[in-house]
Amino acid sequence: MSEAKAVSAGRPETGLLSKFARSDLSRPTTLISGILLLLIAASATFAPLIAPTDPYDLATVSVLDGRLAPGEEMLDGTIAWLGTDGAGRDVLSAIIFGLRTSLTVAISSALIALVVGLVVGLTAAFYGGRIDAFLMRIVDIQLSFPAILVALVLLALLGKGVDKVIIALAIVQWALYARTVRAAAMVERRKEYFEAAICLELSNARIIWKHLLPNSVSSLIVLATLQTAHSISIEATLSFLGVGVPITEPSLGSLISNGFDYILSGAYWITFFPGVMLLATVAAINILGDQLRAVVNPRLSR
Amino acid sequence: MLAFVLRRVMQSVVVLFVMSLVVFSMINLVGDPVDMLVNPESLPEEIDRVRRDFGLDQPVHVQYWKFLLGAISGDLGKSFIFGRPALALMAERFPATLELATSALVISVTVGLPLGVYAGLRPDGWGTRIIMGGSVLGISVPTFWLGLMMIIVFSVVLGWLPVSGRGETARFLGIESSAFTLDGLRHLVLPATNLALFKIAMVIRLARAGTVEVMALDFIRFARAKGLAPRRIVLAHLMPNILIPIVTVLGIEFGTLIAFATVTESIFAWPGLGKLVIDAIVNLDRPIVVAYLLFVVTLFLVLNLVVDIIYALLDPRVRLQGDET
Repeated sequence: MSEAKAVSAGRPETGLLSKFARSDLSRPTTLISGILLLLIAASATFAPLIAPTDPYDLATVSVLDGRLAPGEEMLDGTIAWLGTDGAGRDVLSAIIFGLRTSLTVAISSALIALVVGLVVGLTAAFYGGRIDAFLMRIVDIQLSFPAILVALVLLALLGKGVDKVIIALAIVQWALYARTVRAAAMVERRKEYFEAAICLELSNARIIWKHLLPNSVSSLIVLATLQTAHSISIEATLSFLGVGVPITEPSLGSLISNGFDYILSGAYWITFFPGVMLLATVAAINILGDQLRAVVNPRLSR
Repeated sequence: MLAFVLRRVMQSVVVLFVMSLVVFSMINLVGDPVDMLVNPESLPEEIDRVRRDFGLDQPVHVQYWKFLLGAISGDLGKSFIFGRPALALMAERFPATLELATSALVISVTVGLPLGVYAGLRPDGWGTRIIMGGSVLGISVPTFWLGLMMIIVFSVVLGWLPVSGRGETARFLGIESSAFTLDGLRHLVLPATNLALFKIAMVIRLARAGTVEVMALDFIRFARAKGLAPRRIVLAHLMPNILIPIVTVLGIEFGTLIAFATVTESIFAWPGLGKLVIDAIVNLDRPIVVAYLLFVVTLFLVLNLVVDIIYALLDPRVRLQGDET
């Protein structure tokens, strides 16, 4: 944050980060979401250091600890603050490790989709004509189907696995990025600097890479943020349905699904707490994304 | 106009064909279904017999050709698990899904519309803040988790409502539905509400935006100046104007309701299409998965086609734009 402030002092009114830092960090909801998200990201990154136990180390997990209520003590003396699941795993530790899987899947699929979407969107906008019409028709067709359905179908075909979920989510999302990039790039195309670049006979690659790309990218940042939240949600839903990540690498969704078998016997915590974490993560990203949108495009907040 | 419709229909048919090809070829890359069908210890003759019964002994392109011919005549193969025609199974399950989706639609309008209009009439009120905050939350909360929480609260803790299944159904005006018996209604409430939640948030937003827009127009000001009661302004002048876009969007969104029903049906063990396909995916029941996919693709293509044609009828610009590309 200090970096951002220094930048804003030097160059008033410019820079996305500085605007963001000045205009919106004062709002309490944004501040809380930001801190929450930092905490979530940190605990996911340093999961093995932070988690009280290793939930997937079969040597330390004991079935005798199964279904302890929140706050009870496990056999080895550690307290299970959020209870344990049916196999005796500490729910808190499982959540921290589950966050790791969820975030990895969401972020890597967002990055792949972003790159594919950028290439397709910029190609369509730059070349126009038939290429544009063809690519955008594909985008239209894909976007007419709901994301969850497309992902479900893809996973039915691809099978289970973390890598497959990432691929499926990337395929689900690329079209949205492509459409957004194209819209932004079409606006840039009409500007004078673009004409100047064409007149100077710069190479196509140079125009796209040095001129079109940097100017079209700001709306993408917002989309990528909101899409990350969305794909965390989709991944959780897929894993809940049993077609997402395998049991060996649980995400928040598979933890919730695992707890589903116990809710009728009253062991609500196995499902409840992973869900709260999921909700907190998605809501925090959504709130930050909305703020970011307001900064990038001030007209929308009016 | 006819040219426009014909071109869009052709496009849809091409998409459908490509989809069937993609689905069929990809699904053939995933494992040998015969392994799923027979006991691993059965005799080779037995395995061969099963393979022949389901037509799996022929080359892939022959299988696809047969599949395509069958699909056109309404035969999408037999389910590996149930041993019955896939289409018949789907037709059996479809009413339950339709019932769920329709109930969700009704709930989302009856709850969302008044809240949205209220929020639009009093943009700065406390009630509005709560409603809009709730709608943000409604979009953030993963539906399936909320469904589980509803089960915990209403079924496990309070014990008011049953957890799963469709309950008793009854026939009324030729429609078989659980909405006509008390037991059926009790089963229907939780899943329908769960499926409706996301749409409620959407209806609230649409209704609010529409209300804000329409209330600023001249004819509303005129009605006010004429001294009409606020209630009459809202019911007779505001409502008809904001309802048209909401109904349009909900019409388009009906397809997504059927898609999202897969999730809700799995949670509440609702015996509909979605539950059928999720079970089929888990059990590698290929014909059901393929049949469901073709069904959904067709459904969405038809919905989009109808919407496009209606728009083209209403707005000549859409038609002209279509002629250029």
